[in-house]
Amino acid sequence: MQFSKTVARLITERRALMWATVIAIAAGCFATLVTRLRLDTEILDLLPRGFPSVEGLKVYNNEFEQTRELTFALLCQPEDIDKLEEFAPKFVERLHSQPWCVRVLAGSPLETPQGIADLQNIALPLLLNLDPDEFDRAISLLQPQRIQERLQQLRQAIESGSPRPEIELTLDPLGLIMPALKPFAGNAALESDQPLTSPDGTMRLFPVVTNQSSIGAFECQRLMKQVNAFRVSALQDWDGGKLEMLVTGRSAYVSEVSLSMRHDIYVTLLGSVALVGAVFFIGFRRWLPLLAMGFSLLLCCLIALAVGLLIFHQLNMVTVGFCAILVGLGVDFAILIYGRYQQARNEGATHAAAIADSVHHLGRAVFFGALTTAVGFLALVLSNSSGFIQLGVLIAIGISAAGVLMTTIFFLFIPTRTKPRQSDWIFSAVKTYVARMLHRPRSVLAISAPILIILVTIAVLPQIPLTFVANARSMEPKNSRAGRALSLIMEKMPVRWEPVLGIVRASNEQQLHDYWKAIAEHWEQLRKSGTIKSFSTPYALALSPQNIERNRHQLATIDFAASRTALQSALAQNRFSTAAFVSAFQFLDQLRVAAAQDYQIKPWRGELPQSSAWWFLIDRYFGHDPLLTAGFVTTNQPVSTQQQKNALARDLPVAGIPITLSGWSYTLTDLVPWSHRQLLFISALMAIFDASLLALLYRDLRLWLIQVVTLALAIAAMIASMKLLQVPLNLLNVLAFRLVLAIGVDYGIYVLLVWQRSTDIARDLAGVIKPVVLAGLTAIAGFGSLGWAHNPTLSGLGIACALGLFWSLGATIFFTLPAAVAAEPKLSDEGLGKPELQHEHV
Amino acid sequence: MALTVMGVRAEPLSSADVKSLLGRIRDRRATTPNLQADFQEERKVHLLDEPIASSGKVWFEAPNKFRREIKGNAPSITVSDGQQLWIYYPKFKSAEHYSLAKRSPLDAGITALTAGLSLQNLEANYRVTGTKEGDHIVLELQPRVPSLRRLLQRLEITLDPNLHVIRTNMLQPNGDQIVTTYTNHDHALLAASIFEFNPPPGTQITTPLGK
Repeated sequence: MQFSKTVARLITERRALMWATVIAIAAGCFATLVTRLRLDTEILDLLPRGFPSVEGLKVYNNEFEQTRELTFALLCQPEDIDKLEEFAPKFVERLHSQPWCVRVLAGSPLETPQGIADLQNIALPLLLNLDPDEFDRAISLLQPQRIQERLQQLRQAIESGSPRPEIELTLDPLGLIMPALKPFAGNAALESDQPLTSPDGTMRLFPVVTNQSSIGAFECQRLMKQVNAFRVSALQDWDGGKLEMLVTGRSAYVSEVSLSMRHDIYVTLLGSVALVGAVFFIGFRRWLPLLAMGFSLLLCCLIALAVGLLIFHQLNMVTVGFCAILVGLGVDFAILIYGRYQQARNEGATHAAAIADSVHHLGRAVFFGALTTAVGFLALVLSNSSGFIQLGVLIAIGISAAGVLMTTIFFLFIPTRTKPRQSDWIFSAVKTYVARMLHRPRSVLAISAPILIILVTIAVLPQIPLTFVANARSMEPKNSRAGRALSLIMEKMPVRWEPVLGIVRASNEQQLHDYWKAIAEHWEQLRKSGTIKSFSTPYALALSPQNIERNRHQLATIDFAASRTALQSALAQNRFSTAAFVSAFQFLDQLRVAAAQDYQIKPWRGELPQSSAWWFLIDRYFGHDPLLTAGFVTTNQPVSTQQQKNALARDLPVAGIPITLSGWSYTLTDLVPWSHRQLLFISALMAIFDASLLALLYRDLRLWLIQVVTLALAIAAMIASMKLLQVPLNLLNVLAFRLVLAIGVDYGIYVLLVWQRSTDIARDLAGVIKPVVLAGLTAIAGFGSLGWAHNPTLSGLGIACALGLFWSLGATIFFTLPAAVAAEPKLSDEGLGKPELQHEHV
Repeated sequence: MALTVMGVRAEPLSSADVKSLLGRIRDRRATTPNLQADFQEERKVHLLDEPIASSGKVWFEAPNKFRREIKGNAPSITVSDGQQLWIYYPKFKSAEHYSLAKRSPLDAGITALTAGLSLQNLEANYRVTGTKEGDHIVLELQPRVPSLRRLLQRLEITLDPNLHVIRTNMLQPNGDQIVTTYTNHDHALLAASIFEFNPPPGTQITTPLGK
């Protein structure tokens, strides 16, 4: 028995069995969703795998403590700068009192007594960590004569009003801590490039580390709820003009992205369902088929989600867009099938016969339509981006399910008795167009071809540019508060551009020290030659067991008693207050103890209290694993071009040291060639697949040529409209081109197959063009509804696809068909007036 | 204050009088922006057991250029052109170099240090009160700006009838106190080279606050 007849029999005679099957499938999908649903909010999963810069970004985001950091900013009016300075300590106090706040950086740790005490606590291991030459030079200050000279000089500096002695004697009365921090000095450059107060004084930054236990979406939402509650009371007692509190950071972004996902799911799905439903209803004026289509599409979504979860175990946020796309695409099959079914019923066929007729005549078109679309979306597997791979696979599954469900269970909802429609203005308009087009195809081409040629010209004209956006902002949600905060901070503090990260993992402490020593020396040369602006590394903090052991032996040669006596004598001679030098005597004692043979040096991390502001600096450099570290390079200009990125990739690494270069700007610049490859190479692959399929399908050179030209014209028109409407391309919406190729080709297939094989051209063409137009409009509506998504990647993809499909549909109706008619005339002028054309489908 | 101790009666000035006085000082500075004078200074520093006495000469040009030369056993030269600050120690052939006007803590320090000489922006930066002690006027300045408050608790400026600053008394939050008396005021034009400094060859230069 033919497949179409089997379907008809099952639908009409075995309804209970069919319903039971549907319920079983739905229940299985529900069970899978309930038990396995896990959402992945990692925005980095949208970026392709296999790029070291992307992997580096993931490592830095996941394995470094700074991901728990939020940046608060206060922005006041220019006349309130002094008030802001006065208000800042109150604000810091309020931040400190929040249960989610672990520590706040309100200024340089060196400006606070606690910060100085913390530094003095870790000075010993850092001093012992110095390279032998530097260490020997440093401890030469313990010679009695050097002690005397130094204090005499400081005394004179005090007399001349220099600020140096105050700073030096408070932080480092013995003169050994500063040399210990000397390798750290490079960091000062970075700190001055990353200031906490804007040059005009109207903005102050307060980095805060929170107590977030994880960086998952729900945890971030919970934290940001508390932060938003804090906003309400944080600015109490401010008596100046407008004061704005801004918050940014990873948690703020993740919270917004995950919340925008929910918005995107509702808005795009509801928008798509509403638009598609409206188009379907306008086309057919029937409620039950609309319900049948909705139910079938819902089941397709469920099946795709469930199978997707079984394959991927968790679904990325970008896949939320798949439902809206699936609705827009899957409805095509319903429209085609129902259009044919309605036509058969109008011509007097029974319910079962009409089902068999529609499946028989359009099953092949639906199969090829589903195949090309599924392959088009499966091609996203080549994108290497796990988010887009999931999107592609889910839609491929969904569209395949739609092909099956629309030719089977869709009919369960169709009533066995149906009244023919009295009037159908769409069909009438289509018939009029078909009649004219068959009669004078060149007159249609005379209008459509010039329009398309003008668009092709615009597409290739370099004077009208197609914007390509490759920055982090192109991936953050629209109207993002965290994004606005970051952009205001960047605006107020233009020197705060993002540094390039260099991530280094070592297998032991000594190797880590040696790696960073070599890198720091190399980067210092680059800085001196002007290749980079500044840099900072964890070199001073990466302990070298070899240096420590050697320097401890050297310490044993010092006569600490003589140094102590010399210090006492120099203090008395220069009339210094002994009380101001208590820490100097303590440090001398520590050094004496450290020189002992069995002395075990304490890990410096354990000596710093959790609330110490120095952690802000340390956490930048060290991951949770102390052997995983990062250094930072501030470039002379923000990284935005391939040339800059390539130069950095060439200059920054040191031979023999594995280093991963990363950072958002660096990574996105790194991905531009990938994106171009997606645009050109993979779209070309899709075009070759389409062209081969069409050749197989038509086996007619002229028809094949016409459709290939149509596809090229549609893509050119899409580019032209993106140029004219200033829709930018971004790293990810370049994928739209292959989707347009995959979907757009279907319209041509539907129309040209009928043109090629029909014996009643006018009747059959009119019968297929109406569903094709409706199907095109629903696909445009489905993709267009993504434009409402907050996620710009999703909305950009939707808008680009909607534009492309609009031109594919238009080119199919107004170019492909008249061109085919003009190339292979099948109907004589007399044939146009035949009676069957007058009454069919009415 | 010093005059009060000597038995001269102090009469507080009304705020209108203070305002008028500051206006007169502004006018005076507009016509005679240059100043050179001898000074004697006594500093009580918490790091030292005893006060330090020093003397020398100061040159000043509004709004922010100055030069201070300390003579005696521990000589030094401090020069600022408003952008850079140099402190040179001839005895040690060493110099310290600081960059100003980058919102560094040093800026506030220099503002406080030169307030007594420049007498500019006093109302903006300080809460100003005044007393008349004989034919002298004593202004008491309390910083409004937090950055200044961190460095300066109070500043007293004593002016003679010609509105010459004859004494300043600076009290710092850490307890340090600097009392400076000025004599032999001269408002003659000053050569630009006075506020320039080129370290002599062989000078060891340090930048204690970085670039």
